[in-house]
Amino acid sequence: MANTDQINIIGKGITIRGSLTGGGGLVIEGRVEGQIALKNHLTIESSGVVEADIRADELTINGTASGNIDASTKVSINQSAKVNGDIKATRVVIEDGAVFNGSIEMDVKLPDDI
Amino acid sequence: MAATKDFAGTGESTIIGPSILINGKLSGDEDLTVRGRVEGELSLTKTLIVEPSGIVKANVQVRNAIISGVVVGNISATESVELTREGRMVGDINSPRVIIVDGASFRGRVDMGNAEPRPASERPAQRTSPVSRPMVRPAAVVAPVRAPVSVAPSRQPTMVARPPMGKPQPPAAPVIASKGDRETSKPAPPPPPQPVLVGEAGKKKVLLKKKK
Amino acid sequence: MANTVIGSSITIDGEISGDEDLVIQGTVKGKISLKESLFVEASASVEADIEVQNVEITGKVTGNIAATDKVELKADCRVVGDVRAPRILIADGASFKGNVDMDVKER
Repeated sequence: MANTDQINIIGKGITIRGSLTGGGGLVIEGRVEGQIALKNHLTIESSGVVEADIRADELTINGTASGNIDASTKVSINQSAKVNGDIKATRVVIEDGAVFNGSIEMDVKLPDDI
Repeated sequence: MAATKDFAGTGESTIIGPSILINGKLSGDEDLTVRGRVEGELSLTKTLIVEPSGIVKANVQVRNAIISGVVVGNISATESVELTREGRMVGDINSPRVIIVDGASFRGRVDMGNAEPRPASERPAQRTSPVSRPMVRPAAVVAPVRAPVSVAPSRQPTMVARPPMGKPQPPAAPVIASKGDRETSKPAPPPPPQPVLVGEAGKKKVLLKKKK
Repeated sequence: MANTVIGSSITIDGEISGDEDLVIQGTVKGKISLKESLFVEASASVEADIEVQNVEITGKVTGNIAATDKVELKADCRVVGDVRAPRILIADGASFKGNVDMDVKER
């Protein structure tokens, strides 16, 4: 990653309530409640719990997230993740084993005659 | 001509060729591969495979679905739904396991039912017997190893405070085991032609207009 | 050659159309129209009007059959319905009830 020095970590023991905004990457290992708006990559680690609407460029979820997600590029819901909410993104990946309930909105190019 | 005589031997799989259009209701107890087009209603007790050239514009009830083509309509699967790299779908998915691979496109709701308290990483091994898995993936290889662990839950009954890290909870397993797996010798009732669904079954958001 | 196979446990209620050979081992109700050949195998049960180029029947068919080329009723088949085609073959052992019309106007 190019901007390693800009990666911020919210550690395991930390809980944040409120809105979180910023330009750098963020890794959440603790708990965040409220709103998150990031210009870069957000990672929710398996210990992380997020109850917030999330806006980010890219989002990787290994932990628990509930809230609506709006990502400009990609959302990855990995094997250990539990996600509730509606997702808007150009690419959404759900791994086998992940739990997701909600809606997904991607661009779907259908044949003309359907 | 003579070549067709051999088909009777392999009656376990149905293929809808690329130029074929089926409009109506289709049901069955075998795997179905769609390379052409199926419109209407589709219910199978086995696996639906929609190949890249395939188009399914139907409400679908299956055990497993692997989608590399186009699906417009709702899918209820008793085991799993996988959208591959080329898969495109508009509609709702109701299935305990849903896999969306990078490159697939999807619009609609996903309902995996209520999230179990178990660690998610244990779920694939628990939910599906390896025999009935349609595709080979790492979890399937692990499954036989893990399965015995869950059969011996008495080893950790005192660990109340901890969430069951790594130990699947047996009570949740029968949800699936009692339905789809005809291979197992359990006294489970034979699966009905219309698969029983996990979660609310009948939610149908995408309405299909049948061309008639 | 035959890309499409409707297996023995499959039931279709509706219309099937296409430009390729079709093999039916299961149950089809409704209508079948193909530009190529249809094979109704011994395990099959078809209750449909059929419009094809060729059809070869070993199973059960109830419905009218129109073929642009040939209809072949094999031994052990059971067909009830009218058959219209320039060429019609009925094998020894076939059971058939209906009219035969070999005077095809179009073509």
